[in-house]
Amino acid sequence: MRLASRVALFSLLFWLLVAIAPHGLAQTYQGKQLVRAELLADTKALVPGKPFTVGLLLRMAPGWHTYWKFSGDAGLPTEMKWKLPPGWKIGEIQWPIPLKTIDPGDIETYGYQDEILLMQEITPPLKLDVSSVQLAAEANWLVCEKICIPGSATLRLDLPVASSSEPANADVFARYRRLVPQNWPGPNVATASWSRVGSELRLKISSEMLAKSPPLDFFPLPEQDTIVGHPAVQSRNNNEIVFRIPLESAPKNLSSIAGLVVFAQQPNGEHRAAWQIARASAAVQTGSSALLSARPAAARGIFTFLLFGFLGGMILNLMPCVLPVISLKIFGFIQQAGQSRQKIFRSGIAFTLGIFAWFIALAVLLIALKGAGRDVTWGGFQFTNPYFVLALSVIVLVFALNLFGVFEIWLPQSVTRSLLSTSERKDYLGSFLQGVFATVLATPCTAPFLGTALGFAFTQSAVIILAMFIAIAAGMSTPYLLLSVQPAWLRLVPRPGPWMIHVKQFMGFLLLATLLFLLYILGAQRGLDGAMWASCFLLVVSIACWMKGAFVSPTATGTKRTIVRVLMLMLVLGSGVYLIGDKFQSAKIASADSRLPGNWQAFTPERLQAELGQGHTVFVDFTAAWCLTCKFNEANVLEAQDVKDAFQRHGIVKLKADWTNGDPAITKLLRQFGRPGVPLYVLYPANNEEPIVFPELLTKSMLLDKLETVAGRVASQY
Amino acid sequence: MNMKLLLTAVTSLIGTTLFAADAPPVGNAAPDFSLTDAKGKPHSLSQYKGKYVVLEWFNPECPFVKKHYGTGNMQNLQKEYTDKGVVWLTIDSNAPGTQGNLTPEEADRVATSWKTHETALLLDPDGKAGQAYGAKNTPNMVIVNPDGKIIYHGAIDSKATPNPSDIPSSTNYVKAALDQSLAGKSVSTPETKPYGCSVKYKSS
Repeated sequence: MRLASRVALFSLLFWLLVAIAPHGLAQTYQGKQLVRAELLADTKALVPGKPFTVGLLLRMAPGWHTYWKFSGDAGLPTEMKWKLPPGWKIGEIQWPIPLKTIDPGDIETYGYQDEILLMQEITPPLKLDVSSVQLAAEANWLVCEKICIPGSATLRLDLPVASSSEPANADVFARYRRLVPQNWPGPNVATASWSRVGSELRLKISSEMLAKSPPLDFFPLPEQDTIVGHPAVQSRNNNEIVFRIPLESAPKNLSSIAGLVVFAQQPNGEHRAAWQIARASAAVQTGSSALLSARPAAARGIFTFLLFGFLGGMILNLMPCVLPVISLKIFGFIQQAGQSRQKIFRSGIAFTLGIFAWFIALAVLLIALKGAGRDVTWGGFQFTNPYFVLALSVIVLVFALNLFGVFEIWLPQSVTRSLLSTSERKDYLGSFLQGVFATVLATPCTAPFLGTALGFAFTQSAVIILAMFIAIAAGMSTPYLLLSVQPAWLRLVPRPGPWMIHVKQFMGFLLLATLLFLLYILGAQRGLDGAMWASCFLLVVSIACWMKGAFVSPTATGTKRTIVRVLMLMLVLGSGVYLIGDKFQSAKIASADSRLPGNWQAFTPERLQAELGQGHTVFVDFTAAWCLTCKFNEANVLEAQDVKDAFQRHGIVKLKADWTNGDPAITKLLRQFGRPGVPLYVLYPANNEEPIVFPELLTKSMLLDKLETVAGRVASQY
Repeated sequence: MNMKLLLTAVTSLIGTTLFAADAPPVGNAAPDFSLTDAKGKPHSLSQYKGKYVVLEWFNPECPFVKKHYGTGNMQNLQKEYTDKGVVWLTIDSNAPGTQGNLTPEEADRVATSWKTHETALLLDPDGKAGQAYGAKNTPNMVIVNPDGKIIYHGAIDSKATPNPSDIPSSTNYVKAALDQSLAGKSVSTPETKPYGCSVKYKSS
């Protein structure tokens, strides 16, 4: 009974389809219909500017098949040539997951039997002045059973133009949309790693889902310059499968190909699913060691990262390194409150331009360095260099002394005179320089907050690097622009008065706190001696600042000012040559081992390999003295008693990779994990499974959870 | 040791050694074969040692083969190079009962009516020669040099379509490889992906 009703339903459906599709065309061969082709749309009417999907529906006679995008050892993919008017856009064909056929002589082909819908997205232009549209396409296919017959048809589709539309052919579109491969799932679900062994590619997939899933297959999608043999399963256990893909002819450096990882309850079953895997973007290393297998960096959208940059830029304003400058700017606004709105606005623009100028200059510098093939990493680019940290310390100190009122900064008169004709312009230059200065001071605070976004930018083209920095600059300057446009908001702030001096002096202490952090980094880089010599130099610089404040006043005579300036210069230069050029320079690079807390060993690639070789599970903490996020994670998670106990209970080896001085071996590994800098936390399971990468911000529960499952899984295998 | 893993490893190893029908790589020695032509005369590859030999897999019903014979493209190539002393062996590896399989009489008839210029049209109904070369398509082209080494394996030209009007705008890889070798140069494109119908081998 059920069967009969189903047959009746199907035949009814068939007739309906034929009846509503007057443009279908049949390919006949020796009086027999082999293929019926027609164009379908998923909408009853066309709405200007609104994308919709069209599909080429091919119905093959029983036993006959047409081919996938990659046809395999024989056959040809079906082709669509659209004739669309200008202004229309057409997307790529969305190929449903094909079936694999193996014929005598080991001939493997990928294609479709019975029926297939090849979908493409069409975007009509925003303006359409007609009441209906005819779309035309030429379809070319090859249909084979025992023999192959090429087919071709020019198909047409008429659609009325309307302001709204209703779906059409919903069943058939839904049926084949389900069969379109899914994108590769996130790293939490599955990870893939490629390696090349001679003339073979190996694709290793680790996923908890594999344990439950039926037989798996890999359908390759090779590029033009690559000829692949037949992929086969090399090994499979619970959560891991390795495919072997022989290369018959391929570029020497080919390290991965695109393809589908196909799940099917039964070979060629109705209910099949697949994950699409793209060619790995980064150069994947040859060799098979766990150390070298890296996961391609998560490809989040560019706009997401630009948004991160913008938000990060706004947050920068609250950093202890920047806040003092910002507060000065706000005082400026308060004092200007009585002035004309136009003047306030211009001054705000000048400040903003200062911020942009510095970030753009930084971007250009980075692009130039990257172009010159230098290893550029954020944080690393700056903080692994002790002289950068030292220079920053000097700037922070000088500015703090200025806030305390030890000396005032005057623009030299000659410069002022030549550059500026009116005092008003001087104000604008001042605002501009304040903007630059605020940004320079922001640098020590950027690494912990903008790491992810900047890391993404560094792997991209020059244009994106520039866009990223502009986004940060825009984020940082937004509050001032708003204040300059709406100075009325400043009424919320108390009137100018002596309290401003106190706030200013207090801000000086914030800067001294920043200075302490910088000195700690110097200590980590060059030891106690290095930090001591640097502090001596800072003392001399303070004395020079005091001299300027005490003796170089605008009322002092010209000769006196000159003498004091020469003395200051000699003092700073002389002590710089001795304290920095000699003593600091020769202070030994601090060994990271001395900072190792209990149970941690210093990381070296060899030690990691050796521990893995002995069958140990290894946890690596990539850290640096100047990395605030790292310090936070270490104090709250890694050094917490229950976490330490868990490491010990499971016998997990803990290695610390200290990147304070920019160790190149560590830089290389960071690169392989797609990271621009620290922190990075990786757990290498003993059974050579794909390493597990933790997020930048660790939580206890997440770490404990992973340690438990990995240790459990390893134990069950041995 | 994980038993399942061991089993998988062993079976896949056996699988690759016994059942592999992969093409011998370009640069290796061309496998020898002995086949009879339509008149029953035997031909072996080894008897042509010292000469360039072109092997062409054939199926007169296949639209891709028809593309090159219908336009005279294949016949012209055969004529041009056999005139230069190259041996051209056309091979039909399709099994009896499948499309493209030829009896000696049919083979003779096709060769005459299509005015072909090969040295010999060889019949390989049990598919041994075809499988030895990993020939999976018609047409599938192989060039063997006078030392008996494979110097080209792949498609006849660069446009993988059954459409005859694509011939003038495509690059003929066989012609390029023969011209280069006859001029004493190395072959710039020694391997391409063949296109066409599948060879209809006997089910084993």
